Parts: sequence; C-alpha cells; structure tokens
Amino acid sequence: MPLPDWLLNSPLAAFGRGRIDLAWPWPLFAGAALALVVLVFALARRSPKRRRGAPLLAGLRAAALVLVLFALFRPQLVVSTVVPQENVVGVLFDDSASMRIADAGEDADGLPLRRADRMIGAFPEAPATEALGSVLRERFVLRKFRFGAEGAERLPEGAPVGAALGLSGARTDLAAALGSAVEELASLPVAGLVLLTDGADTGGARGTGDDRGDRGSRLEEVLLDLRERGIRVYPVPLGRSEVERDLELGRPDLPSRILLGSEIEVRIPVSQRGYDGRTVRLEALDEGRLAASRPVPLTRGSETRLVTLSVPAETPGIRRLRFRLVPESDEEMTRNNERTALVEVEDRALELLYFEGQPRWEMKFLRRAVRDDPGLRVACLLRTAGGKFYRVDVADAEELAGGFPETREELFRYSGVVLGSVEASFFRSDQLNMLRDLVSRRGGGLLTLGGRSAYAEGGYRDTPLAEILPFTLPPGDADGSGNGAPRAADPRASFRQLRVTPTRAGSSHPVVRLESDPEDDRARYSGLPLLSAVNRLAAAKPGAVTLLEGEPEVGGGAEPVLAFQRFGRGRVASLTVQDLWLWQMHADIPVEDQTHEVLWRRLLRFLAADAPRRVEASAAPRNALPGERVEITARVLDESYLAVNRATVEASVETESGATEILPLRWTGRRHGEYSAAFVPDSPGLHRISVRAGSESPGTESDALEASAFFEVGNVEDEFFGTGTDRGLLSRIASETGGRLFEIHEARALGADLSFSETGATVVERRDLWNMPALFLGLVALLSAEWSLRRFWGLR
Amino acid sequence: MRPPRPFAVAATGLLAPLLLLAAPLLDPMPAPNRQPSPQRIRDLLSAATGSLPATGDPFGPGLRAPHDFYFTRAVYSGYGWRGWHVDYPKAERQFLIGLRRYTNLDAYAWENEVLLSDPELRRFPFLYAVEVGYMAMSEEEVAGLRRYLLAGGFLMVDDFWGTEEWLNFAREMDRVFPGRAIEPIPLDHPIFRSLYVVDEIIQVPNVGQGIRGGPTWERDGYIPTVYGIFDDERRLMVVANWNTDLGDAWEWWENPHYPLRYSTYAYEMGVNLIIYAMTH
Repeated sequence: MPLPDWLLNSPLAAFGRGRIDLAWPWPLFAGAALALVVLVFALARRSPKRRRGAPLLAGLRAAALVLVLFALFRPQLVVSTVVPQENVVGVLFDDSASMRIADAGEDADGLPLRRADRMIGAFPEAPATEALGSVLRERFVLRKFRFGAEGAERLPEGAPVGAALGLSGARTDLAAALGSAVEELASLPVAGLVLLTDGADTGGARGTGDDRGDRGSRLEEVLLDLRERGIRVYPVPLGRSEVERDLELGRPDLPSRILLGSEIEVRIPVSQRGYDGRTVRLEALDEGRLAASRPVPLTRGSETRLVTLSVPAETPGIRRLRFRLVPESDEEMTRNNERTALVEVEDRALELLYFEGQPRWEMKFLRRAVRDDPGLRVACLLRTAGGKFYRVDVADAEELAGGFPETREELFRYSGVVLGSVEASFFRSDQLNMLRDLVSRRGGGLLTLGGRSAYAEGGYRDTPLAEILPFTLPPGDADGSGNGAPRAADPRASFRQLRVTPTRAGSSHPVVRLESDPEDDRARYSGLPLLSAVNRLAAAKPGAVTLLEGEPEVGGGAEPVLAFQRFGRGRVASLTVQDLWLWQMHADIPVEDQTHEVLWRRLLRFLAADAPRRVEASAAPRNALPGERVEITARVLDESYLAVNRATVEASVETESGATEILPLRWTGRRHGEYSAAFVPDSPGLHRISVRAGSESPGTESDALEASAFFEVGNVEDEFFGTGTDRGLLSRIASETGGRLFEIHEARALGADLSFSETGATVVERRDLWNMPALFLGLVALLSAEWSLRRFWGLR
Repeated sequence: MRPPRPFAVAATGLLAPLLLLAAPLLDPMPAPNRQPSPQRIRDLLSAATGSLPATGDPFGPGLRAPHDFYFTRAVYSGYGWRGWHVDYPKAERQFLIGLRRYTNLDAYAWENEVLLSDPELRRFPFLYAVEVGYMAMSEEEVAGLRRYLLAGGFLMVDDFWGTEEWLNFAREMDRVFPGRAIEPIPLDHPIFRSLYVVDEIIQVPNVGQGIRGGPTWERDGYIPTVYGIFDDERRLMVVANWNTDLGDAWEWWENPHYPLRYSTYAYEMGVNLIIYAMTH
C-alpha cells in the first residue's frame, strides 16, 4: 500500500526519481547520528540499576533523537520536474487486429469489452478526471501514434482516437513501433513514451525460427537507443495475460506444392489450456468443403502437441486450406482455433521407368494399380528374351526404343526408376553409375524389387547400386564357394513366405499407413496374404527407415520388407518381396479392394514427387505484407540436370486483380543455376508467379521451360496466436528504459511518474522535507512507544 | 530279356482310351458335369502309361508357387465327352518347352490345372481353356471366373468351332458378364505384337486334318477369328481363338508330318498372349 502523497510532501514517485540533499554533508550527519546513538546507550548503561528492557528503551530514544537530528540537517528533495505543457509524451496505440479480442473486462451493461475499447476509453474526447488521456494532457503535450507491423504512424492532431484506429494490423512489432516513434520525436523534449498494447509481439513472425532471433536483437537495439536518449517507456498492458480455457492451432507445416491425387501430410501444433484429457476434433476444409478430419486427444498440461492430418489433394490449382479445431462451448477465445494455408495442387504426371529383366506378374499389376492415377506415368520396359525388349506406356516411338537408357539425358527425364528382377551384368558400368546419379545428383527415386536376379543374387554386390541401397548385401558368393561369383537365387534354399506388417515407423508413415490407428493398421496388414521372397539380405543400413517387415511363416525373426533411405538428393527404396501383386489377386482379397493400388501409387509418388524439375520457382516470404520485399527465385537445370548460369529467365507476377508484371531474373552468383529478382507488392491478395527459362547458348534446345510459384499478400493471421498479454516482455521494456509498467486505471500514478523526468524541458525543484508530516508522525510514534513501555513496566 | 508281345502292347494301348471313356461313369459329380476331375485323369494316365510324374517339379503349384509363371488350364463342368482336358497335358508340356526357350520367363515346366471354383485359381493370373463349346459351368464356377477376371486374371480360350459351339461359349460368357460384348480383336492390337509380329490369323486344324491335309475347318467354322472381352476400362480379360486349334499345334509340333506353319503360328500366338497378359 503506497503512502499518501501528503505524508511525504511529494509523490512517492518523486523520491524514486530525485535525490535527498542535506544542509551539511551526509558524512557529518552520519557521524553526528552515530555519536548521538553511542551517547544514549552510554547514559543508559551508567544508570545505577540494570533494568529489563533498557536496550529497547534506549534504542527508541536514540531513534527519536536521530529523527530530530535529521530534521535539523534541513533535508531537501532535489527532483527534476517537467515544465507543464512544455514536454511531449508519445502515446503509442496498438492498432493490431488482436486488440479486437474481447477479454478486457466488462462494460457497465455487462457486455465484454475489447482490448481496444479499454484503450480508446482511456482517451475520451471530453476531459475526465481519472482517464489516462486527461491526466497526461494536464501536464504534457501528447503526440499519438498507432502501430501495427510497419512501425508507428502519427495520428492526426485532435482526432478522436477511436476513429483513427483501424484495428486491422496483421502483426504487432514493438521494436519497429518504438524505433519509429523515437525517430519522429527526436527533436522534441520527450518526457517518455506510453505504450498501450496487448504485448503480443508477433512482429516479423514469418514462420522460420531464424527471424525470431533477428527480432529479439532488433528490440534490444531499440531499447539501448531509448536508454541512451533517456526516454522512458511506460507500457500499459491491455487484455488478460492468462487465458483459462483455450484451444490454439499452431502454424500448419505443409509443402507448398503437391501432386493432384496425393495426400497432403499436414503437421499442426495443437496447444490447449484447461482441457486436459478432452478429445477435440481437427478439421481441414478445402475451399469450404470438409476434406479431412480427425479426433485429437488432449494430453495433460499445456504443452504443444504435433498432430498429423492427411488431406487429399483432389482439385488442381492453388487451394486455400482452412484448418480448424472445433471450438468447445466454453472456450474463451475461438479466433485462434483456425489457420489457413495455401498449397498448389499440381496437375502433372510424374514420369517413371519400370524396367523388368523377365516377364513377371508384378509389371501387369503395377500398371493396373497406377492406370487410373493421372499423376503417374510409368513407362514399362520388359526384356522378353535375350536382347529383345517390349515397351508399354511409352510417350512416343522413340522412348526406350533402344532398350534401357544409355545416356543421362535419356535416363534423367524420369523422376524415378523401378528396377525389377534384372541381373547387374545386364548393365554397363556407366549405366549403373547413371542409376546412382539419378538418385544422388538428379534427385530422383529408385525402387528395387525382390526377385531371382535382384540384389546379391543378381550380382549387385560391389556395384554402384549396392552403395545406395538401404540394405547391406551379403557376400556375392551366395553358394558359399568363396569365388565371389554371383549366382541366381536358389529357390530351394531361400524361398520363404512372409507375413508382412508395418514397423513402428511404418504405422505413421504416409506411404504404408492404411489406417490412422496403429493397432487397426497392424490388423489390416495381418489380414493380407503372405508374400514371398527369395533374396537374402543382410541388415538394413544405419540411417535407413524400415517401413514394412515380414515374419517368416515357418518362424524365425522378422526381416525387413520395405525400407528406404535418402541418398544424395534423392531416395532409394527397396522391396524384398517378389509378388506384391498377390495383394491384388489373392482369393482373400475382395475384387474391389484398393490396398494394392493405394500402396503402389503412394510408393511411386513418394519416390519421385520431390525430384526437382528442370526449372523450379519459389517466392519468399509466402505471406507478405503490402510494401514488403518478396524475393522470387528460380533454379534452372539443363537436360542432364546440370545447373545453367546463362539462361534467360523471366517471371511474370499476376496479382489477384489480374494485373501482370514481367520481371527479368538474374543469376544470383551465390549458387549455380540460381536466378532471382525482387518484387514489392502493393495490393493484397494472391500473387501467381510464372517463371519461364529459355536457353541462351546456341545448340541447346530452344523451347522454354516453365515453373510456377505463388505468394500471398496481407493475410498474416499470427495476431490471434499467442494472444495472452506478454507482461514479461512489457516489464522488460519498462525496466530497461527506466520506465514502469502501469495498469490502465493507474493513470494518476503514471502521470506523476512521468512528471519527474531528467529529459525534456525540466526545472530542478528543491522541496523541504524537515516539515514532512511523516517525519513528525514518526517522532511522535517513537516517543509514544517509549513512554508506553515505561508505563507498562511500571518505571518512572 | 524277352521282347514284349505285340498283343500286350496293343492291349495296353487300347486300355487307356477305354478307361477314359469309362471315366464319366465313375465320376461322382452330378450331370451335366460328366467330365473327369484332374486327379482322375492323372490316375488314369498313370495307370495307362505308368510313367507320368505326379506333380513334376518339386516346386509345383502345390508348393506355393515360387515360379513366376504357371501355364494353368481351367477345369470346368461341361457335357459330352469333350471337355477341359482335351490335349491335356501334352499340349502344355510341349508348349512350355518352347516358352521357356524363346523367352526368359521363369515358367513352371509342367501342367497346372485348377478348378474355376478353386480360390487358389487367383494365384495364377493366366488361364487356358479349351472346348468351351461344351462348357456348362456351375454357379460356383461362374462366380469364381468372374472374380478372377475382374481382379486381373486373363483367360485364353482355344479350340472351339462353328456356330453352335460359339453360341454355347457366348451363353456361358454371358453368365459370367451379363450383357458384355464379345468383340473381334483387330490385327493392330498389341496382342499380335507383344513379342512376335503376327500379321495374319491362321486357321490351325486339328492334328488329323493337319497331317492328312485337306480342309482345315471343322463344322461350319470356316474363318478363324480372335475375339476379346474387355472390362469397363477397356482392359482385355478374355481372348478367344475361334475356329482354330492352337493346342493341337503345340501338342504335335514334334510330329514330322505336322506342318510347321501351324505350330509356328500357334507358338507365336501363345507366347504373345502370355507376354501381353503379363504386362497388361
């Protein structure tokens, strides 16, 4: 409880800001006081009778005398006070959208008040005694600013605050706001800054962890600058700092583009407060239509949980996905239950090559599985007899006409290759190297299938492919002869039937997961027919992920059935079984069952979907503000997937209104094949980028390649997230600049604290303290206490 | 050792066909299924020749199919003495010799016959059926064949001649796929190109007519045609070689009197259909 100002002749704040001077130096006072105390105690000891309580009585007496001595030294409070109406106070109003959150108490009618309402109410047009605005206006000239994402903007003089605020700022950037307000007031005598905000600093939040660090250091710089200028900041927090019952969705993590017909794997952080143990529903809406949903059981505590949701990409184009947690009936804030994200659903087909060394049913059923998938074109090449090939699903008469591709250009047109049962000796060594480079350099995918002529049995040990496979191949002398000669699998020795089930990694992997619940998933797999394998494989390599494993029917330990690993830029997956087609054809499988189709499609897409195309475009940031610089980047590769630095690259940016701007892209010089240009959007909405790259050098193909990208302007919704008022941050701003944090109803105290300032137009006041009522009352209290004690103990 | 008497040889030779003829009487299956079961045929053949291996390769279909390919003959109910077993098993054994030589297919070298109603049928996505003019499938077999073809199985039909047999085949197929058309397959279809280029559909006569010469047709089946049944997505499920007998050409190719032209065509069509079935 603060002391009333009249007790001290001055506001308490003045004591904090000023210093106390005495008529004679402080050491003299200290010496005199000490001497006085010693004298009192010495006299007390010299008394003939030793009485109880004597030290206490002496102490009280001594204290009273010291007080009198203090008054005799004529103490004065020296404080620097602002000259009324000659100093400026900058008032910064938070103009961000989160100020609309109605958690700032209730109005007279019991209706919830928005944060902004409290703020505007403190600056009424007609003077009101206790309103912050009126209190400040008594002594100061006010300069009002509003701030959102882009620093502070001066409000017109005399305009009512409520009318001047738009409450639509997409972000709150305190550092920018303080920095620009100081710049604006640099030439004026500034007593301090009053910062009215909910403190949810979301400035610069662009989703990457990197610029959070930048933001922190930017705030540090601004605070240092304020301290140097002696400008104090008085934050006035608005809104409730702790929400009791709330669900909140974090920023969804999803790829920027996906193939039509794939499933978009979205990972979304879900946090909650006050809903321990409850199960809520997470939904994904694709342009308003429910595309996916799942229950989310909430764990204890308020820690954030990462939830995965698979959303089918069914319509081509740039889709706006809306994710929402279905609000609970008693939830305090529901605006942070929703997030939107944009994703480009591409209607293009991945080109893959399936090469089989002998006729096998796998080819028929793989083709059957992907036939209806517009996102996959699998060119099939079958060696029907020695030196004789049969091609199916080729794009033109030339494709694969000479058998397996002999050049990089020919092979690298495919984003992925499936290698069936074909012995290593079929390939020339440069073809094997090309296959490895397809993965490591081109960034494509390779899938190897089990079979009589696959893996070690096909003589792949000690070839470049052995290096990239997710399995270690056992020694080549499969017959144990020790001569290292590969030999075909002997079915008698190694034929085994396997009951295939997903591993732990598989149960949560989008390629092999059939049911969202791991238990259901395992049950579904155990209902599938046994598959067979003839290849002997040593263990999966470290770093490889095993998705499916098989338990031999005759007993024995589980062995991996499907594993993959990244190698270079691409990935390599290996299936050890040779008859996945039984999952389509076996009598236990109903004719309409889609398991086989789904697994193949997912597996092939997984292999090849991330393989880069010859031109790739991107824009950063994907969520920009009007006037913010957006960097458009393109990577250009030639037919052999080598970077090209001399291409002609241009981007056309189309705004939502249809206006198009053409920008030339230049080689950045940072990386080979990387081109970029900056674009500053001035209108909100979706911006589509189309990048065209043509070759400049003669002799190369002339047709231009295209790529697309997009970014959005003015839809930054971070304001409603992490909305609890960050008092910690505001207190730190106050203490580092020498200000103090005040509640909005503490207008008088804030005004008083501001009045004592060393910067701006000030006068030095000396206020006598010897006649402070507090001093007199203290003296009376000490003497009364001594007298009462004497009476109580029956002393004279 | 005394050479066998001519009478004994003749008696053994006569015994086999007699036993075959008697088989329907011994068969417990109800009418109109008066055709012998695979096992009975096996037993009869063993009794007649005394040398037939029961399952051939130790890795036969009964041992869960580690081979990539099994030439599988459809066993179905029918009437009359002709039926699924015509040319069995010599036709496929002889054909498989060539198939294994001309392609690098890992094919099981022996016959493999499966009832249309047997769920194990689905393990063998290529199926061969002859004499469908006398086919009279049970409901179980109809359902089994329908599921088999819809799941991705492929049926090659051979050796049926003339209008009457065609009508029977069409009637049976209509039971499997009511209302589905049986269409002629033009010569530019991939089945005529998948390994060998076949430019002409040849009428392959039965072995007697082939060796003796003379007309190649039987009954009123003068013009050989290849018909097909497609599924809703235009995938070929059934190929029917009408007015021709590829099976006899496989069976008798080693006979010096059998014209090479017929067996060459029969081999080419057989191999082409298998390669096609394994890729489409």
